[in-house]
Amino acid sequence: MDKEKILLIEDEKDMVYAVNIQLEAEGYSVVNAYDGLDGFEKAKSEKPDLIILDLMLPKIDGYKVCRMLKFDDKYKDIPIILFTSRAQESDNEMSKRVGADAYITKPFEPKILLSKIKELLKNNSKV
Amino acid sequence: MKKPIKTKKKVKTAINSQDLVYKYKLFSDLMEHTPDVIYFKDNKGRILMVNKAYTKGLKTTVKKVIGKTDFDFFSKKRAEVMAKDDEQVLKDGKLIIDKIERATRHDGIDNYVSTTKVPRYDDKGKIVGLIGITRDITRRMHLEQVWKEKVRIEKKVEMLEGMNRLKSEFISSVSHELRTPLAIIKQLVSLIYDGTVGEINSKQKEILMKTGNNIKRLKKIIDEVLDISRIERGALKFNYTLINLNDLIEESADFFKGIAKDRGIDLSYKVPNKQVNIFIDCDRVNQIIFNLIDNAIKFTEDQGKIRIEIKILETKVRIGVIDTGIGVTKAGMNELFNKFVQVSQKASAEKKGIGLGLSLVKELVERHGGEIWVESKLGVGSKFYFTLPRFYKLDILDNNIKDQINNLLDKGKTIYFISVLIINYREFKFRTKVKSKKLFNDLEDIIDQVFSEVCKFKGKKPQIVKMDTVNGQCNIIFPNATEEKAIIVSEMVKDRIKNYFSEHQVKNIFVTVGIMPYPTPDESLTTKRLPANIHIKEMYIGSKIRRFKRISYEPNVDIILSKDEIEPSKAVDISRGGICLVTKISLAVDSEVDIKFELPRNRQFIQTKARVAWVKNLDRCPKEKFDRNKIGLEFIKLKTKIPQIFLKELKL
Repeated sequence: MDKEKILLIEDEKDMVYAVNIQLEAEGYSVVNAYDGLDGFEKAKSEKPDLIILDLMLPKIDGYKVCRMLKFDDKYKDIPIILFTSRAQESDNEMSKRVGADAYITKPFEPKILLSKIKELLKNNSKV
Repeated sequence: MKKPIKTKKKVKTAINSQDLVYKYKLFSDLMEHTPDVIYFKDNKGRILMVNKAYTKGLKTTVKKVIGKTDFDFFSKKRAEVMAKDDEQVLKDGKLIIDKIERATRHDGIDNYVSTTKVPRYDDKGKIVGLIGITRDITRRMHLEQVWKEKVRIEKKVEMLEGMNRLKSEFISSVSHELRTPLAIIKQLVSLIYDGTVGEINSKQKEILMKTGNNIKRLKKIIDEVLDISRIERGALKFNYTLINLNDLIEESADFFKGIAKDRGIDLSYKVPNKQVNIFIDCDRVNQIIFNLIDNAIKFTEDQGKIRIEIKILETKVRIGVIDTGIGVTKAGMNELFNKFVQVSQKASAEKKGIGLGLSLVKELVERHGGEIWVESKLGVGSKFYFTLPRFYKLDILDNNIKDQINNLLDKGKTIYFISVLIINYREFKFRTKVKSKKLFNDLEDIIDQVFSEVCKFKGKKPQIVKMDTVNGQCNIIFPNATEEKAIIVSEMVKDRIKNYFSEHQVKNIFVTVGIMPYPTPDESLTTKRLPANIHIKEMYIGSKIRRFKRISYEPNVDIILSKDEIEPSKAVDISRGGICLVTKISLAVDSEVDIKFELPRNRQFIQTKARVAWVKNLDRCPKEKFDRNKIGLEFIKLKTKIPQIFLKELKL
């Protein structure tokens, strides 16, 4: 089986660096995008197995990217994990409304991110 | 022709002289009684005439001042000012109206006066003098000053509120900004600690573990600051779900077991045998319990004890975290829940935090409609208690229903919870002779029928109906209901149930519907706090509990213990059968007392003997100094007239 491909859309370069190392160590191939527009384009062109999406992004914010993908029949099955820096409430509700599959509040335990990725990929492969 | 005119003239002069006397009387009354100072001066500023009020302040007589000038009575400085004003009026004919000056009275008291001076003219229009009126306006000036001060303070408050809002927003955005680098640091440290980028030795691992712990500490501080700023901005939202309290406590306490064990602290808890379901924001209540246990561990010496206890009361649960720690002084207890307060002097920097924990906990408890307090003795230990409101009928809901409710709440749907309760179910079953299985089947049919008429749904039923045939309860969960619809449904169900029983020849069945806000509004809370989206209605079926219609709520009732010993109390409700009240004193069941109260609508006093039917001790709140008892009294020896008064009261 090919390496599963994860698209990480995040504008904080050091965060990208750290998450990349972690994901690659786990055997995933990682594609990066640093703003919402680029992320949206790459989600369409790269056909990732999973997307990790930060909320505060230049050009198009994470909510919009998520909504655009989830409302498109071609891409709606790609699981999306939202990265939020605002704890609870509004983000929690918003994540549900835009159709994200999971969300993680920064700062997070790297293990939690991994377990969520694994869980979502497993569910998706069943489908 | 001349004659009649002459007589006419004569009559007129007669009237004029009478009129003159009358006018003089009016004038002298004015001069005698008016509190304002009035004076007439000639064109040289010499006094021609003054009223009585003028002389009062100067302690002289009216006659003595005539012919004198202001220089004879006032300081030179003041008299010069007055003379200047006089000159303006006398020379230029310019009026002085309501000139406000500070003055010192002869008794040495500073006051404010308002002076008005107008010129007097002779027949040719030449100024011959002036009339002056001076009024003491000290009171008015003070009011004006108070008003100005009020406006100033209001402006300042507005400005401060604006600044406070800015500050909160600033804190909030700074905290958000802090999270991102913190997240990156955490991620990077974890990469090394977890061995993702290669093996590390145990010393390195230890160093990174300490780094990790401090990242956690920093995160906790940021979270607390964020929460406080959310509260200040009114942006703290709650996400209510139906939670099993027992599980919640178990999970929280178990989390700390390891930490406690390392310190040799005996951490124990006991959950009630009964399952308790409450509507709460699970994360927030977790945060409350977490903070309290965390504090208890921080301030308890090694080998100490921490106990977590739960007490179930009728309308609330009380959770206590009790430790054998260092304790708090009396002064400390009052301040403990304030922002940025660090009561403990001894605490190390590591233990200290930023003093937001307990103020946050207090806010969270209160937002849930609960209370929090502490009982403590220095060097002995502390007991932290908090309450959460509960609705006992929720306890019987099984997990399936709970999940369904939580699912609805999760989707942001409004829920009306209608609880139908059969009172004295055993006796009721005996009386109605309808088999309970059939009764509940019919009840469900009635409810379904009502819903299909009101909601006009297709396919899947909107309502969830849960029957409890053992306890004689039926719970209807009505999602997406408006207040209006919930009332329609309850009223329809009520009427249908009544019809149902009359069809089955069961008489004297009584059905009532009450709306119960959840949580129950507590007297100690000024505002009614309702968790979003949940409303509860109660419906009673039965005959025993209330034979009579309730009249009014909460009039004051005097319990006459002896001739000169009267205990004031407050009624919970009154019917013509009896009265239910709350009082500090306790009475023996079946004893007789005299009571006196006023019917609130027709304002009639009633004094009567009553029998104590039941007494219930209410749990004491920490703020109350006395025990409270709820007492049910049944009227006896009611005069025949009195029921009529009640009937009248009902009609009013």
